[in-house]
Amino acid sequence: MRDVLALILSGGGGERLGVLCAERAVSALPFGGKYRVIDFVLSNCAHSGVGRVGVLAQHAPASLNDHLGAGRVWDLDRRNGGVVILQPYQTRSHAGWYRGTADAIAQNWDWIEEHRPERVLVLSGDHIVRMDYRPLVAAHLEREAAVTVAVTQVPAHEAHRFGMVHAEDSGRIRSLEEKPERTDSALANMGIYLFETERLAEMLRARPVDIVLDVLRPQVAAGHRVYAHEYEGYWEDVGTVASYYRANLELVRAQPRLALHDARWPILTRDEERPPVWTGDHAWIEDSLVANGCRIEGRVARSILFPGVRVGPDAVIADSVIMADTHLARGARVEHAILDKYVRVGEGAHIGATGRGPVENMDWLAGLALVGKDTWIPDGGLVERPSSIGIGGRYEDLPGGRLAAGHLVPNRRWFEELP
Amino acid sequence: MTNRYAFILAGGVGSRLCLLSERRAKPAVPFGGKYRIIDFTLSNCVNSGIFDVGVLTQYRPTSLNQHIGTGRPWDLDRTRGGIQLLQPAPGLSASDWYQGTADAIYQNIVHLKRRRNDEVLILSGDHVYQMDYNVLYAFHRRNRASLTVAVTEVPEAEVSQFGILETEPQGRVTAFKEKPKGEVQGRLASMGVYLFDREALIRWLVEDAAMPGSSHDFGKDLLPRLVARGEPVYAYRFPGYWQDVGTLDSYYRANLEFVQAEPPLDLHDPEWVLHTQTADRPPVRVESGARVERSLLANGCSVLGRVVNSILFPGVVVERGAEVRDSIVMHDTVVAAGAVLDRAIVDKEVRIGREARVGQGDDMAPNRACPEHLSSGLVVVGKRARLPEGLTVGRNARIGASVSEEDFTAPVPAGGVVDGPESMH
Repeated sequence: MRDVLALILSGGGGERLGVLCAERAVSALPFGGKYRVIDFVLSNCAHSGVGRVGVLAQHAPASLNDHLGAGRVWDLDRRNGGVVILQPYQTRSHAGWYRGTADAIAQNWDWIEEHRPERVLVLSGDHIVRMDYRPLVAAHLEREAAVTVAVTQVPAHEAHRFGMVHAEDSGRIRSLEEKPERTDSALANMGIYLFETERLAEMLRARPVDIVLDVLRPQVAAGHRVYAHEYEGYWEDVGTVASYYRANLELVRAQPRLALHDARWPILTRDEERPPVWTGDHAWIEDSLVANGCRIEGRVARSILFPGVRVGPDAVIADSVIMADTHLARGARVEHAILDKYVRVGEGAHIGATGRGPVENMDWLAGLALVGKDTWIPDGGLVERPSSIGIGGRYEDLPGGRLAAGHLVPNRRWFEELP
Repeated sequence: MTNRYAFILAGGVGSRLCLLSERRAKPAVPFGGKYRIIDFTLSNCVNSGIFDVGVLTQYRPTSLNQHIGTGRPWDLDRTRGGIQLLQPAPGLSASDWYQGTADAIYQNIVHLKRRRNDEVLILSGDHVYQMDYNVLYAFHRRNRASLTVAVTEVPEAEVSQFGILETEPQGRVTAFKEKPKGEVQGRLASMGVYLFDREALIRWLVEDAAMPGSSHDFGKDLLPRLVARGEPVYAYRFPGYWQDVGTLDSYYRANLEFVQAEPPLDLHDPEWVLHTQTADRPPVRVESGARVERSLLANGCSVLGRVVNSILFPGVVVERGAEVRDSIVMHDTVVAAGAVLDRAIVDKEVRIGREARVGQGDDMAPNRACPEHLSSGLVVVGKRARLPEGLTVGRNARIGASVSEEDFTAPVPAGGVVDGPESMH
């Protein structure tokens, strides 16, 4: 794998994740009780022996910068190689935000060339997947492919969410469809590509914007060797509230398809130093993941708790994702909700109560209540779902202490909080 | 602030900790669900702004060496200063195994001479406490002391286990008795925290090294001598929690104090983080039907059974129907389905077989091998022991490290001893 250089595309602004990605990239989103989404792909690189990694970040790169640091936790703090964040930059001849996936790669071609890799592995930082890239590379070499596209089976009714791939039995790709209404293919493009570097250089000469539309389709049409490689493990792109929530809750199923407890393929992350989980006399926890630093006195069911979450006496959390250092006071109740960091839920407050009446245009919330970071929910407050409260929500955002289903409270700007 | 140097004495054999320190130095004994005892002292150093630390090891240093590594968790992986592990090195000068605590420093006197600090702090790696050493420095300088000893009040029944000081009201020390047997005035015990004037210390160490009758120990020799001849020795009375976890009983008690709603030290204080070497483990997984009450559980644990008033270190698995009560269970130990632990201290990577009962019955016969240390009802199980299915183990029993299922021919009675193969090290 020394001849493979990985590029992790982390451009996703996560518009469909609402308040959760208002100030962070999807790949920097906390996941699974102590990780960030990008940890999965970085750990895959580390365990697959890919030692040179560039992260192409456009949206909120600071959130990633902090997390990646020098890459030590993934053993990617190397003298030669390691992990580097590649942000859009200006030159005399152009000032370019990344216009698309292919454009992002083209804009960093100088950096890629410096490493002289034989092959370039293009990954997405938004995927929850534990994938060994070595079989993909082996299949690619065996077929003498110019490009290999990782694909995975998806149910027919979900095909409209994905790019679908039509391949021969040999694996050679005949055509690619983008989010088809109807298709007879069951193979979805995972957004993971292995290119021969020399061929990629040629492909980028036409100034393509998007990998699928402007690179792969013309390559297939011209009869070049573009192959599909099927991946059979668990894979989820967490670009929506529904998929992000589903992937988190997958971890607390009785037989999760995504195992975090596998010492052979640990998910590496930047760990914070927190004391062990403390449970009080009347704590009751089931089917949950609870990270170090949590203090639990109430009840927690089917939920994911990040470091430093406090659940007061008689408080209840169910079917929810609660990010770091959020506190629930005595008797508070949170269900079917995603609470970002540093939220304060007052005594007896209730988040995620079932709303009354039909709600329009809120499918993207997947029926959940989202609460942005630094929000304070007053004692006895009531937040119905679906709904969303922006970053820094305050008492005055909840008239009468209530937020009815179907309401969106916009983000407060951070400087409004300064005295 | 930056110009400070500390030695940590981490050579302790910890013989009263029985099995726990059989294969590791006492400062390396696991504590509090994810830490090791030395983490308290190391974290005190860095939280007090001391980033130049020498750790003196002697007894079974391997686990300590591994734990400290380059010192990164404590920000002690530095270009200047940082952490240095100081093993006895035969062949250097008149060096040999360290005789006593003073000898350990004497043999490293080169590190004292090389530095330009006015003072040097000498600490023990054996204690559980959070202390800002800056306060000690200020006290020392205010009194123009040559030596300041941090002291804490201990219960009268325990004075014979400590170095006991008598002081004038302003803190000047008038008497020092190491582990006094008879009547003593006062209950102020030395915490093993000494702040010395560096040049005075060099002088005193050289002098002590030349004395034929000396056992070269701070507590036994140096301190009583300095006090007796009227050197400016002061006692700084530390107001906070301090615990010597030198015996199995005190170790057990101190650990379980941390599962209380109001623990003696705030491990959540972001201003005084207790740093340690943390392995990458997923969050604690608790499945349906499990109960976890008044306990500490570290990342990597997986609980399907019942855990009450206990401490689980990373990676402990409590299977369905198993119960862990009033116990301390270290890394990666598996308590198989239906097994019960009651008042047990179980070392790392142990397997408790299905339906086994550890800590059974009312018979309080003290342990046959170490009756003086194991008589309060605790059961101790050594590292990597494998207890067979259905085994019962009485109270005060000791199961050696690495024993296998075949080493058990019958239930282990109260006070029983099952020894495994001799350590290969």
